[in-house]
Amino acid sequence: MIPTKLRDSGDTGRFLRPIVMTTYNECVAQIQQILRTTVAKGEVVGEDMDLIDELGLASLDVMELIEQLEDVFDISFPINELGDVRTISDLARRVQLLTDR
Amino acid sequence: MSLLEKLEAAQRSQDVLQALGVNAIGATIDVAGSATEGDIAGNRVVLAGTNNYLGLTFDPVCVEAAVRAVRSHGTGTTGSRLANGTYACHAALETELADFLEARSAIVFTTGYVANVGVISTLAGPGDVIVLDADSHASIYEGAKLSGAEVYRFRHNDPDDLDKRLRRLGERASRTLVIVEGLYSMLGDVSPLKQICEVKDRYGAYLLLDDAHSFGTMGATGRGLAQAEGVEDQVDFVTGTFSKSLGSVGGYCASRKHDINPLRAQIRAYMFTASSTPSVIASTRAALHLIGRRPELRTRLWGNAKRVHSALAGLGFTLGADASPVIATIMDSPQQAADAWQMLLDAGVYVNLVVPPGAPKNMSILRCSLSAAHTPDQISQIINAYAVVAEHLMGRPKAVAGGSL
Repeated sequence: MIPTKLRDSGDTGRFLRPIVMTTYNECVAQIQQILRTTVAKGEVVGEDMDLIDELGLASLDVMELIEQLEDVFDISFPINELGDVRTISDLARRVQLLTDR
Repeated sequence: MSLLEKLEAAQRSQDVLQALGVNAIGATIDVAGSATEGDIAGNRVVLAGTNNYLGLTFDPVCVEAAVRAVRSHGTGTTGSRLANGTYACHAALETELADFLEARSAIVFTTGYVANVGVISTLAGPGDVIVLDADSHASIYEGAKLSGAEVYRFRHNDPDDLDKRLRRLGERASRTLVIVEGLYSMLGDVSPLKQICEVKDRYGAYLLLDDAHSFGTMGATGRGLAQAEGVEDQVDFVTGTFSKSLGSVGGYCASRKHDINPLRAQIRAYMFTASSTPSVIASTRAALHLIGRRPELRTRLWGNAKRVHSALAGLGFTLGADASPVIATIMDSPQQAADAWQMLLDAGVYVNLVVPPGAPKNMSILRCSLSAAHTPDQISQIINAYAVVAEHLMGRPKAVAGGSL
């Protein structure tokens, strides 16, 4: 579901990278896929679910989830913005914006 | 969540610790006339969790210096550095620190925590970027947050991940402050500083090294990890503390590359808090003088560390890193760690219990910190106490201390 070009975090400079917009839906799907193997044990989790209150992630788990997303999308997520992220949807929206930069 | 609901939530997480059956957090220690012995809950124990790496807290020279200072300059300065709180002794310590580190200038702060918060939040600001090691100390995170800069973490001790982060920043890498520690206090692992320097230089970023646990313990003359790695000229800023190797309390920032004096009138944590008490400055100066002149302290410290490290490895413990003055044993669960902590205390040895979320990667660890002042007998007692834990909790045969251990 993630365009192959984006998985390549090699030395392709940002301006040389093919212009392939990552969509919000792709971000949600990627988050869901990671969570399926960790907290949800095969279940699909809804995009409005709260990462901490509903899915029971500890703050360290959230950081690990973000590290995986950073690798997949070749982005860096500012930790100042962690406070604004409560749901999968919040996270996906932020990740999508970062891939646009 | 309302204000008071937060208190209740905090109480619940304390209850979790209480349920482990130990009172490890905030255990009251009455130090008993030496750097390595104290009383906890009425029992005399060997202190192996105090960061008193060079054992200088009871050094007669340091104690005398403090006593003389309190008699001649009083109990406190009752003022901040920028107002009435700078005495000749504060300025002298800054000169001596700069000389010792061969730095252009050095600034002294009231604690190490304050040094990090103050320096980091002032060096970087809105529009700048901070990229810090994920396992950084709370004071580093706090300073970064306060700075208003954009903050990113890179994976602990991973220069390749740092490289990726700087690459993604593009031109902004030259407005970036990278922050790492020397010796990490929880697992006792050491930063790959040479590679970190190489990466940040390639992108034109700046580097701040928090040498709190490596100042005095590493490097040929005790100048810390950068000296040990031969990269002192590549590090832009060094921060550190007086409350580990120097046996008092306080912090500093120094730089070989830049004159940091102008920061004095910018750092709020310098301008708006009381300066260190003269007796604290006096014992710190005495200790700094000793560090340069007593290399045997470092030799003894590392000898003790290596002896404990190899003994614990022999007992089958999973250790946090190679031998260093901090030796972490990684336990299976918070409960097992708490049981082991109590067992060590019952065997007369105090170490630090660290359970989630305090430890990296949700680990439960027993953190032992060694001192140059530990005697061979005390080291045997520490090893024997761990052998009791190995036998009772991990089903290992009891090892015999002494001999090669």
